[in-house]
Amino acid sequence: MRKSLTVAVAGFGLTLAACGGTTPTAAPSPGTPITIGVSVSLTGDFSGDGKALEQGYDLWAQDVNAKGGLLNHKVTMKYVDDASSTQQVVTNYTNLITSDKVDLVFGPFSSLLTIPASTVVDRYGYAFPEPAGGGPSVFNRGLNSIFFVQPASVEDNLVSYTKWLLSLPAGQRPATAAYATQDDPFTQPQVDKAKSLLEAGGITTSYYKVYPAETHDFTALAQQVVNSKADAVILGTQLPDALAFPQAFAQQHYNPKTIIETTGPDQGASFSGPLGANTEGIMVPAGWTPSATAYGNDKFVNEFIAKYGGAAADISADAAEAYSVGQVVDQASARANSIDNGKLISQLHTGTYNTVQGPMSFDATGKPQGGVGVYIEQWQGGQAIFVYPTSVAVKPPEYPKNNWQ
Amino acid sequence: MTALKAAGLVVMFAVALALPALAPDPATTNIAVFTMMYVGLATAWNIMGGYTGYISLGHAGFFGFGSYALGLLLAHFAIAGGYSAFLFVPLAGLLTAVLAAGIGWFALRTRAATFVIVTIAFMFMVQLLAENLVGITGGGRGLSFPVPPWSGGDFNIPYYYAMLALATLGLAISWRIRFSKFGLGLLAIRDDEDKALAVGVPTRAFKLTAFIVSATLVGMIGAVYGYYVTYIYPQFVVDPLIGISMVLMVFLGGLGTLSGPILGAVILEPAQLWLAYHFGASRLYLVLYASVFLLVILLLPRGIIPSVSELITRWRAGAGDSKGAAGGAADPLPKAISP
Amino acid sequence: MTRILEAAVLGILTGGVYALMASGLTLIFGVMRIINVGHGALVILGAYLSFAVWHNLGLDPFLTLVITMPVMFGLGVVLQTIFIRPLKTDREALSVLVTYAIALGIEGLLGYFFTSNYVRLRTWYDTASFPVGSFYITYVYVFGFVLCLAILGGLFWMLYRTRFGGAIRATMLNRTAAQLIGVDVDRVSAIAFGIGMATAAAGGVVFGMTNAFNPGSHYDLISRLLTIIVLGGLGSLRGAVIAALVMLVTEDVTSAVTSPVWASFAFFVVLVLVLLVRPQGLYGVRVRDRL
Repeated sequence: MRKSLTVAVAGFGLTLAACGGTTPTAAPSPGTPITIGVSVSLTGDFSGDGKALEQGYDLWAQDVNAKGGLLNHKVTMKYVDDASSTQQVVTNYTNLITSDKVDLVFGPFSSLLTIPASTVVDRYGYAFPEPAGGGPSVFNRGLNSIFFVQPASVEDNLVSYTKWLLSLPAGQRPATAAYATQDDPFTQPQVDKAKSLLEAGGITTSYYKVYPAETHDFTALAQQVVNSKADAVILGTQLPDALAFPQAFAQQHYNPKTIIETTGPDQGASFSGPLGANTEGIMVPAGWTPSATAYGNDKFVNEFIAKYGGAAADISADAAEAYSVGQVVDQASARANSIDNGKLISQLHTGTYNTVQGPMSFDATGKPQGGVGVYIEQWQGGQAIFVYPTSVAVKPPEYPKNNWQ
Repeated sequence: MTALKAAGLVVMFAVALALPALAPDPATTNIAVFTMMYVGLATAWNIMGGYTGYISLGHAGFFGFGSYALGLLLAHFAIAGGYSAFLFVPLAGLLTAVLAAGIGWFALRTRAATFVIVTIAFMFMVQLLAENLVGITGGGRGLSFPVPPWSGGDFNIPYYYAMLALATLGLAISWRIRFSKFGLGLLAIRDDEDKALAVGVPTRAFKLTAFIVSATLVGMIGAVYGYYVTYIYPQFVVDPLIGISMVLMVFLGGLGTLSGPILGAVILEPAQLWLAYHFGASRLYLVLYASVFLLVILLLPRGIIPSVSELITRWRAGAGDSKGAAGGAADPLPKAISP
Repeated sequence: MTRILEAAVLGILTGGVYALMASGLTLIFGVMRIINVGHGALVILGAYLSFAVWHNLGLDPFLTLVITMPVMFGLGVVLQTIFIRPLKTDREALSVLVTYAIALGIEGLLGYFFTSNYVRLRTWYDTASFPVGSFYITYVYVFGFVLCLAILGGLFWMLYRTRFGGAIRATMLNRTAAQLIGVDVDRVSAIAFGIGMATAAAGGVVFGMTNAFNPGSHYDLISRLLTIIVLGGLGSLRGAVIAALVMLVTEDVTSAVTSPVWASFAFFVVLVLVLLVRPQGLYGVRVRDRL
């Protein structure tokens, strides 16, 4: 008992020793280098996306340092892995802010992780510009320090698609639609909204299913969609199911006239690698595509390829979203002439910001608004290109889509 | 209990109580909350696994259930964030007890390896229910807890004390059981269940009681956890990793001992958080963690406390007895000795 | 009605893969009395090894087995000797922890070498399928099923028709008695573990062809494999095969009849129901102090 007591007390002592002092919140003096802390998912379910975020953030840091830094402060990025876990993301942001004393923080991947992280970040008065947390629950917690850096609030992601479908002449329009979505805070709101819009427009629902996010075997679900023989298939997916469904459809020789997935097809090589030629015709709502002409995008694409290799089609949208976060903070700090978090928060609620995803501004809860909305991207011949609206389309949409092998 | 042991206990408890004053830095109190959480979890698990020998790998199911129970209670009664929310934790524990009674009745019909796997199966059933009963639990969209208005630096402190209270409760119960007839019955079940039954120990009732007590504590700790992270999802709160961690901590410290679980938790949890924070980015953190794991198990299969006690006993016997090592060869009772 | 039939066929085809994976797991339990919770990770390791060979040498995934099965066998023997043989006390509980640590280590290494992007073993005949009524059966599933049958057949043949198989069965029945009649139980254990790993490699190939996977995929797998071997009766190969088929068919039929959402749940419900009536599983043996 004695021995264990000693060790136990020593254990407490160790934790004591590992701590630091109190947390200052004063902004750094001009010219000094600063650190920006981020929790990224480098392992676990979101690791593919996490890696893309890291690449985007790094590229931005490189660019901003090349022009002298953020308001003349050279930027160093500090990454920690949250293993796609909510417990770790809370610990990470706590440590980054209070122990590593980073000057600024950027957001992690997914609404799932952004929600718990946002309460922690807000508690310490830090601004939380984030690239990937856009589900409705992100914004209804009464925090004013979150800023979702994407062109539109998530539940509107499929609105462009519904507009396009309903704009087709009556003879060509799909008569029936099948909907299947994860009950994920990101995917489900979009699919539900699309369903109500399409039903109002006269397209019958032949199948609707919400399945748990933890599902790992999608064959049975895909079979049910196939059995519905719908003309249009609208899927609320993350990357794993975005890969599984088209695969199963091809095996069952099922070729819907049109198919759209909420995310997955915008992940570049992670999507085209496992599917090969069967990416043909699959659509995805996208605020960004490598060939878009938004602010600084061609520079971003060229630099990305120079730094990380691969082709333009391999770049994941996550990287562009991360890069946009940096751009927004860069412009906000220039306007506020400060990198103090409180000032940044007030600044970010006003004005319009230019990013590689286009222009955007943020309302009181941090939702993006006034952006040009989300476009439709489609895979044609191994490339993902904008096809709608015509103002940005590189080619017209392929409809009905070409058959898979 | 000797005066020395009592003094030691008081000192340890005083340090634990004073920790937030000694180290108010939120990064440290955050680690302290999670560490104290695992102290409680390990102690609670030990009541079942250590005393009866029935290894449950499904305790994470109770952890998650407690979390959801509290979240739903707080939502149902429209409790705002603050101190009053903690009053509902025992209620969440009560609900967990009911679940444990049901699961225990099924699971305890099996033994040894089958029991282990059945507990795993029940854990996944709880997770599946949390995911699929979307109307109640919110499914994959998660469940929100009310957020207390406490400010940044002090936010963690009430949670730390809540965890400390639960850990102390668990330890007190474990101690009470250990030195009672009930505890003796449990140890008899561990050593040879059929003989215990033959001698008249009501094995089924005892096993079920230990299971329920263990699960209730775990459920309450889970409830406080959910409140601390303010937002829970099925796959993160019914998490096999939590279940395995508490088992590993007990094994590290010493299965069936009183201070073993505490020691295991105090060593492993800060180490895990530290490793994850500093090495997670290089992806080799898992390999490092696994290596530590393996080293512990292969070198100290009986855990630190029993191994160290044995060493001390042998050393004492060797030093005090002129005949040397022979005196120390009288092995202490397997595992069940020094708390 | 056709939907139920379709589901049943799919269940049998995928059941074959699970039967193969589960047979390795139950063999390991039977010989060594340990619960290898790392078996899922070993299957994924096999899948990645095949992926590496397929990616770099361009071999058809099925052919990669010629390389991966012996490699995994050897690895299994090594792992057993280093990490599992030293466990003397508290075997069952400690083995869970040790094999879990091995699984974590494998997950970390795979993540390091292959990153966490999802991959799949692709072939040119991936989506080829033949129609049966209104339903298409994919060739890949059929080939995988045939492979599993072949390997299982080989396993059974070895166990019941060779001397070494006799040694394995003797060790499974009663370790001490086997030692007394001259069986080298340590060697038998190591080889049995190796065989378990080799079957995991084969299961990994078929799994990797029909599912996208990444290093974290082993958690889902192991929960189902453990459930299957308990249902079948720990240590019974016949039980594992039948349980796998029963489970997968139940799951797929439930999914077709009610909803995919509750299909996984049905899996566990079947287990609970069977254990209510027969706590030792379908083919398990009820031994007084060891179950």
